[in-house]
Amino acid sequence: MSDLRDLYQELIIDHSKKPRNFRVIDDPDRFADGFNPLCGDKLRLYLKIKDGKIEDAAFKGAGCAISTASASIMTSMLKGQTIEQAENLFQTFHTLITRPEGLEDPANAGVGLGKMAVFAGVNEFPARVKCATLAWHTLKNALDQAEEAAQTE
Amino acid sequence: MGTILDREGVAIRAGHHCAQPVMDFFEVPATNRASFAFYNTHAEVDQLVAAVKKVQEMFG
Repeated sequence: MSDLRDLYQELIIDHSKKPRNFRVIDDPDRFADGFNPLCGDKLRLYLKIKDGKIEDAAFKGAGCAISTASASIMTSMLKGQTIEQAENLFQTFHTLITRPEGLEDPANAGVGLGKMAVFAGVNEFPARVKCATLAWHTLKNALDQAEEAAQTE
Repeated sequence: MGTILDREGVAIRAGHHCAQPVMDFFEVPATNRASFAFYNTHAEVDQLVAAVKKVQEMFG
């Protein structure tokens, strides 16, 4: 069971049961949809942006424990970040989760991610990587103003 | 749930089952499906029940 606990850390279970920022922002500056048909994860991400900074971030939708916790912790982290900082977080998180081969310093892959680092264990569960990254791909689409829903299939 | 059961040696189907209209019909985001065949034993059914209890413990 220890490896399962690597995946379902207390913080992840807590955020999946009581997701933070789980609401609609009525007049968002950006929003985007994310969809992961395999698990059945579906979410809409809302952002309020002022002077290049994310003032508010929230999401609404239904999904598995990992995707819900990821969206919950992500939206908590985004508040106060500039768009550039948010894009950097996306890259760092993606590297932590996918650990591409030839990574120079795999032990430090999650540095600067704060609470998001609890998702490091997802790397051992390839089928669940898509759940953890869905909110982040949706964020990227929202920042890039993409019109199509983000899919991690 | 699928991941936890998988670790307990029980294979089920989880998610949309490539049947999104049915999920919309029942107004659920996703479902789990355990299917039995003639070769399944009572012991394997017990294993399934024990694994489901583990899920409850974790998320309960």
